[in-house]
Amino acid sequence: MNDEQVKVDAIVVGGGPAGLAAAYTMARRELEVILVERGEYAGSKNMGGLLYGNILEQMIPGFHEQAPVERPVARRSICFLGGEEHMALDFGAARWGNPPYNHTWTVHRAQFDRWFAGQVEEAGASLLEGLVVDGLVYEGDGASRRAAGIRIRGDEEFFSDVVILADGAHCLLSQAARRELAMAGGKAEQDFALGVKEMIGLPAGVIEDRFGLEDGQGAALDFLGVPFEGMIGGGFIYTQMETVCIGFVARLETFRQSGLQPNEVIDRFKQHPAVRKYLRGGELLEYSAHMIPEGGSRAVPQLAANGLMIAGDAAGLVNASLYKEGTNHAMDSGRRAGEVAAEARAKGSFDRDTLAAYERQMQEGTALADLRKYEQLPEILGGSPELLSLYPARLNRLLVDYFTMTGEPKAVIQKRALKEFMRGIPKLRFVRQLLKARRLM
Amino acid sequence: MAEDLFKLTLEDKLYRTKYEPDSDHPHISVNDELCAACADKPCVSCCPAEVYKTNPNDERLVTVSHDNCLECGTCVQVCEPESVDWRFPDGAMGVKYRYG
Repeated sequence: MNDEQVKVDAIVVGGGPAGLAAAYTMARRELEVILVERGEYAGSKNMGGLLYGNILEQMIPGFHEQAPVERPVARRSICFLGGEEHMALDFGAARWGNPPYNHTWTVHRAQFDRWFAGQVEEAGASLLEGLVVDGLVYEGDGASRRAAGIRIRGDEEFFSDVVILADGAHCLLSQAARRELAMAGGKAEQDFALGVKEMIGLPAGVIEDRFGLEDGQGAALDFLGVPFEGMIGGGFIYTQMETVCIGFVARLETFRQSGLQPNEVIDRFKQHPAVRKYLRGGELLEYSAHMIPEGGSRAVPQLAANGLMIAGDAAGLVNASLYKEGTNHAMDSGRRAGEVAAEARAKGSFDRDTLAAYERQMQEGTALADLRKYEQLPEILGGSPELLSLYPARLNRLLVDYFTMTGEPKAVIQKRALKEFMRGIPKLRFVRQLLKARRLM
Repeated sequence: MAEDLFKLTLEDKLYRTKYEPDSDHPHISVNDELCAACADKPCVSCCPAEVYKTNPNDERLVTVSHDNCLECGTCVQVCEPESVDWRFPDGAMGVKYRYG
């Protein structure tokens, strides 16, 4: 680089939760930071629904009082859908509706990320929105080859001591950088799921009445079963203040095998009698789609190289169990990467050995502990598709048959219901699969 | 009478999503030769925005409506390597979620 060129301490690529947390942390530690986002504004390319706010609460205490969060989640439900039957486990706690709100919020990510970006700017980072990074600039050869900056499409190169890539699930830049710097992959290839969602407008009072909520409180409902038959995945409904979003997430591989189109799946889900009652009379405001890396801990690649750290979805930091935790882990990784960058600057070294502190911290932290806990999730679900479809459907039928009033003696009804429940299921396989299923909880 | 939420076509749905179209600069191109050799065309069934459709004039090929793209990246994952060349749309172009 020459004297005319721009050089800062750190460049962050991607204005989602990971990149924003990294830029925020470094700006607060008084590093000179540029954050580049390809969308017109941070959040404009993102999709989400639930936001776990534990990490953000540590970064910006009381953030929910100023951030555009929608509703705290006070009611949750896991619902199994048969062809027309349904069965739900519905739970919640009054205290989830009060501070600290169980750190679980519904949000509109396009609005929330934009707010967070404002905080990052206020902390002193330069936000460059509407610019595409086509690749990184590298210097040196062999083992000392390092990331030295970024190439902006149709524009100049920017240089920095460290680049933090937070380029999301569809991480073309991280993939290229990992090849270029010979970074190790995870033990397994990344396994992606596709999420598709509709945002539906309804008045706040209607939402509260339909979902049985106190004023201002929210619900997060998860669905498994027939609309998603044969797929590893399920549906969800979340309530925001004046919108309800409905969608599903399914592993690409199983989705591909199903031969159904995403739009057909969401329509089948919407039209289920246990689902459509929540939506009727609503107005569609937006249709969206996003990929989610669901490969878990085994797919997490090397996270640090000379002059480079990878955070968030690009690092595969998603817990795809029923918790569906991603934004929290993204912010955790961004914050840690930012802290390590600040320490590297104090030390005057940005080589792999220094930045490996980020990788170590992640390995020892909660996010990867959680991912490791669910390490077997992909193969358990892959090897036992019955867990998501046949068994819930049978349990559903069992309950419905048990309470179907035929006029026969109850002993007859119950015996038949139980017999129907076990029909065609080898007992040993059933027991073995239930034992495996414990590891999903 | 309000629209029937349960009868919307994909076209109706995409109409509600905001885009900054960049019609003259397609960010997706496919390799016809490789597409012709691909029997099951996962891009057609997996794309949530039906960007890829079987070419009505030659069913071995696909047409690409890049203006509908939601930029999820699914096609890049399900497609045979090298068959689809996908790059990010130019800055601030493409899908622009208001809710997300």
